[in-house]
Amino acid sequence: MALRNGITSMLRQAAIVKQHCPASRLSTTTTMHLDANNNDLATLNKTRLDTTEGKSLNEIGLGPMDRTKDFDTRIELDVQDDLTSFNGVPKEHTKGRTVRIYVPARNQMQSATNNSHLWKLDFDVRERWENPLIGWASTGDPLSNMQLNFKSKESAIAFAQKNGWEFVVEEPQPAWQYKHKSYGYNFSWNKRTRVSTK
Amino acid sequence: MFHPGGVHGARHIAQSLHHVKNAIRGTCSSKLLMQQKAAAAVAVESKKGTVTPPPTGPAPTAPAAPNSVEVYIDDKMVMVEPGTTVLQAAALAGVEIPRFCYHDRLSIAGNCRMCLVEVEKSVKPVASCAMPVMKGMRVKTNSPMTRKAREGVMEFLLMNHPLDCPICDQGGECDLQDQSMMFGSDRSRFTDIKFDGKRAVEDKNIGPLIKTIMNRCIHCTRCIRFGSEVAGVDDLGTTGRGNEMQVGTYVEKLFASELSGNVIDLCPVGALTSKPYAFTYRPWELRKHESVDVMDGLGSAILVNSRGGEIIRILPRVHEGINEEWISDKTRFVYDGLKRQRLTQPMLKNSQGLLEPVDWEDALSGIAARINRVPGQEMAALVGGLCDVEALTALKDLMNRLGCETLCTEESFPMNAAGTDLRSNYLLNTKITGVEEADLVLLIGTNIRFEAPVLNARIRKAYLHNNLRIASIGERVDLRYETDFLGDSVHVLAQLADGDHKYSEILSKAKKPMIIVGSSSLQHGDGTAVLANAIVLADSLRSKMSSNGDESDWKVLNVLHRHANQVGALDLGYKAGPSAIKQMQPKVLFMMGADDGVVQRRDLAGDAFVIYQGHHGDKGAEMADAVLPGAAYTEKYATYVNTEGRAQRGNVAVTPPGMAREDWKILRALSEFVRGSSVLPYDSLDEVRKRLAEIAPHLTRYGQVEDANYFRQSKDLVWNAARPGHSGQTLPAQQRELEDFYMTNTISRASRTMAKCVTAARHQKSTRYGL
Repeated sequence: MALRNGITSMLRQAAIVKQHCPASRLSTTTTMHLDANNNDLATLNKTRLDTTEGKSLNEIGLGPMDRTKDFDTRIELDVQDDLTSFNGVPKEHTKGRTVRIYVPARNQMQSATNNSHLWKLDFDVRERWENPLIGWASTGDPLSNMQLNFKSKESAIAFAQKNGWEFVVEEPQPAWQYKHKSYGYNFSWNKRTRVSTK
Repeated sequence: MFHPGGVHGARHIAQSLHHVKNAIRGTCSSKLLMQQKAAAAVAVESKKGTVTPPPTGPAPTAPAAPNSVEVYIDDKMVMVEPGTTVLQAAALAGVEIPRFCYHDRLSIAGNCRMCLVEVEKSVKPVASCAMPVMKGMRVKTNSPMTRKAREGVMEFLLMNHPLDCPICDQGGECDLQDQSMMFGSDRSRFTDIKFDGKRAVEDKNIGPLIKTIMNRCIHCTRCIRFGSEVAGVDDLGTTGRGNEMQVGTYVEKLFASELSGNVIDLCPVGALTSKPYAFTYRPWELRKHESVDVMDGLGSAILVNSRGGEIIRILPRVHEGINEEWISDKTRFVYDGLKRQRLTQPMLKNSQGLLEPVDWEDALSGIAARINRVPGQEMAALVGGLCDVEALTALKDLMNRLGCETLCTEESFPMNAAGTDLRSNYLLNTKITGVEEADLVLLIGTNIRFEAPVLNARIRKAYLHNNLRIASIGERVDLRYETDFLGDSVHVLAQLADGDHKYSEILSKAKKPMIIVGSSSLQHGDGTAVLANAIVLADSLRSKMSSNGDESDWKVLNVLHRHANQVGALDLGYKAGPSAIKQMQPKVLFMMGADDGVVQRRDLAGDAFVIYQGHHGDKGAEMADAVLPGAAYTEKYATYVNTEGRAQRGNVAVTPPGMAREDWKILRALSEFVRGSSVLPYDSLDEVRKRLAEIAPHLTRYGQVEDANYFRQSKDLVWNAARPGHSGQTLPAQQRELEDFYMTNTISRASRTMAKCVTAARHQKSTRYGL
C-alpha cells in the first residue's frame, strides 16, 4: 500500500494530474492519505461529499468495507500515463517496433476455449537461432519472451500507450454461429447425408 | 430433375408441426410433451429426406419459429430455441461441458458419454450432447452425480488407453489428458495388468501425413464423421464391435482426401497425429504466430508454430468467413518446403555465365548498373502469385519511377471489354459465406476441390444441409458431391447466357444463384468467351431476381483465383498476363516470385538482363542473371488480398534465412542505387502501409471484404464489344486428381512431404482399391 501510494504521489508530481476518484472505490485509509497529501483533492472530495448530502454512508462509499468491491484500492487517473521517461527499457529494444494486441486463437488440437478469453500483447518477431553450445534457441531480444495478458482490449491499448509502444490491434473475427443439430438426424433417410461408414 | 412432390411434402411438414404445436399448447405432463416433440422431430426428419425442396416453385413454408424456452444451467437461466441440445444451451450459458465425440461442426454421435450431466427429475445422468432441452429443464453440470458419472466414464476410457503420455505427440494438448486431470479419479482400479492387459490394436497405415497409434483410440468417431461429412471421403469407418471395435480403413488404403490433416486436430487423443511433426517438440515449447495462408486464393487463417527460428508445424485458426476451422493438407504440411531450395544469398552471373554469391551491395550496384543503361520503356516486371501487397507496391513504384509501365502478373485474365478495370469482374463477389445462402451453384471450368479445398468443403456442407444444388461446366471431375453436369465447353455457357439451354429455366428460378468461374478456365483459349458469357449470364440472373422483387444485393458472378495475392496485384493495377512482356521483348525483366515459367528467355531480347527476386530456387531463379533472396510468407509482415477482396495481414513467424530480406526492403534498397530520383519514399512498414492506403484504402482495412459493384456496366461493355467467339474445346481442369493437388507453387514443389503425398496418391491409384 505504501509503495502504491508512493508511486501515486510520484506520478502526481511528474504531471499535473486531474484526479478522478470514485468515492466507492476508495478505502478510508487511502482517502486519508490522499487528503494529507493533496489539498486540491481534499477539496474535490469535499465537494463530492457535499453533493451526496442526504445519502447514507453506504451509498457514498464510506460504509463498512465490502470485501468484494472495496478490496481493490487502486485509483483511476484520467491522464495519459507515460512511463517512457523512467521505465529504463533500452531504446534499441522498443524503437521502431510494433506490439500486436489480439485475442489468441484457440488451440485447434483441443476442444476447450479457456485460454482464448483474453487479450494478449506481444512484440514483433526478431531473429532467433539455435545456440551451438547446447542446441537451445537463442535470441538477442529480451522482449521476445514477454507476453502480456489483459482482460480487455482497452487495458492492453492503455498499457501500450503508457509504455510508448506502437501497436496494432487485431480485432477478433465473428464467433461461430449456433446451428441447430439433432441426434435424430443420424437416422433420417436422406440421400445426401446417409453414409456408408459408421 | 427434382422431386415432384416437393411442395406437398413441405406443406405436410408444416401441417404436422402445426398439429404438434397445438397438442403442446393444450398441454400435459412434460414427459408426454417430450415424447410428442421427439415424434415430431422424427416425423420432420423422415420427411426431410424424401422431400428435397426444389430450387423452383414457392419456398417451402418454414415452420414459424416457436418461442424460445427457458432452461436452467446450474441455476442460471438461458433462453434457447426448442430442440437445442443441453450441451449447446450450456455453452450459451458460458458453461463448457467436457466432451470427446461431440464437435460443433460434425454430426452428433453421442458415444463417448463424457458429456453426461445431471438433469433434475431424471433418474440417470443424461448425455448432454444429444439431449434436446425441455421447457424449464434444470441441468446441473457440476453436481456430485455429474462428477461421479464423468469419473466413471473416464475410468472406462482409461482402462484401454495406454499410459504412454510421455512418448505421445498429443501430450500437452490432449483432451483426454486434460480431462482426466480435471474430471478423472486420482487413482486407478486397473489391476489386471498381468492377465488380459490393455486392448491392443494394430496401427493402420493411412498415408504419409497421418500417423496412427490405434491403441490410443477412444472410438469417438470424429475422424470417421469428418471423412464422410466434411471431406466426403468415406474411407474411414469402424469394424468389429464392443471391445473389438477398430477405427480404420478395413483394407490398407490411403486416406485420400485433400483435407485429411484435419483429423489430426479433431482426434481428441493421440491416435491420429501428424507424421512430419512426430517426436519433434512439445506444444508448450512452440511459439505461436497467427498468420495467413498463401497456398490457395482463399487466405485461410493459420497458426504457425515455430521454435528457434524454424517452423515446426502449421495449424488452422477459426475464421468463420473463410476456412471455418479446416485447412487443406497443402496449407498444413507444406512448411518443410520453406527449409529447402531456399535462396539465401544475393547472386550475380559472372563472366563464365554462372551465378555467383555476392554481398548485397555488389548485387544491388551490379543490377543498378544494368538497369541504368536501359530506358524504362524497354523494361518490364513480372510477378508471381505469392508476392505480398507491400512488395508489389514497392516494385510498381520503383518501376514507374524508372519509366516502366509494363508490370504484369503471371496469371492472365481476359482483357476484352472491362477486363480487370472493373473490380467486380475478378472477385469472388458473393463472398465465401455466400455459399451457405445460395441455392444453386454453377461451377465453370474449375476443379474447386483442389483449387480451394476449404471452399469446396463449405459447398459440400451446403449440399448436405441446405439442399444446395450444384451444376458444373468444364472437364468432369470428382468433387465429392453430386453435380448436374451440363457440358464441358463454353458452348453450353453461351447457350445458358442466351437462355436457350434446357437448364436455363432451372437457373432462372434459383433464388440465390452463384456462378463460380475458375481462374484456370480464363487462361484457356476460350477464356475471353468464358468471362463474357459468365458476365452476361450473371447479369440476366440478377435482373430476373430483381424483377421477382428480390431487393437483396445478391451478386451472382464469382471468380475463384488460385493464387494468394492475385487480387491484390490486380487491385494495384498490375496487368494480368505476360502477353505485354512477350510483345515488347524487354531488355530488362524484373521477376518477383515468378516461378510458373510463363515467360522464357526466348520471349525476351537477346541480351536481356533478368533479375529474379524471390525465396526459392525454381524456374525463375534458373533463368536469372541476378538473384535477390526474398522472404517467404512466414517470414514477413505482409498483406494479402484473397479472392473475395479481403485484405489480411500475415505475420512473421521466423526471420528470413541467411542474407534474405523482406521483399519491400530489398526494393527500397535497390531504389537507392538506380538512376535519377527513384528513391522510394518509405522507410518503415508503417510508411509502406500508408502508401498502400493512398493507392487503395481497402488494402489496409484488414479483415474486411471490400465489395465491388458495376455489374451492369460490365455487362454493357461486354455487349458493346464484339462478342467473343469460342472454339468449343473442353475447359480443362488444371488439377484433375489428388496427385495434382499437392505441388502447385514454388514452396510446395520444394516440400518433401508434398512429394511423398504425390507418390502415395499415385500408388493408391495403382492399387485395386483406387482413389
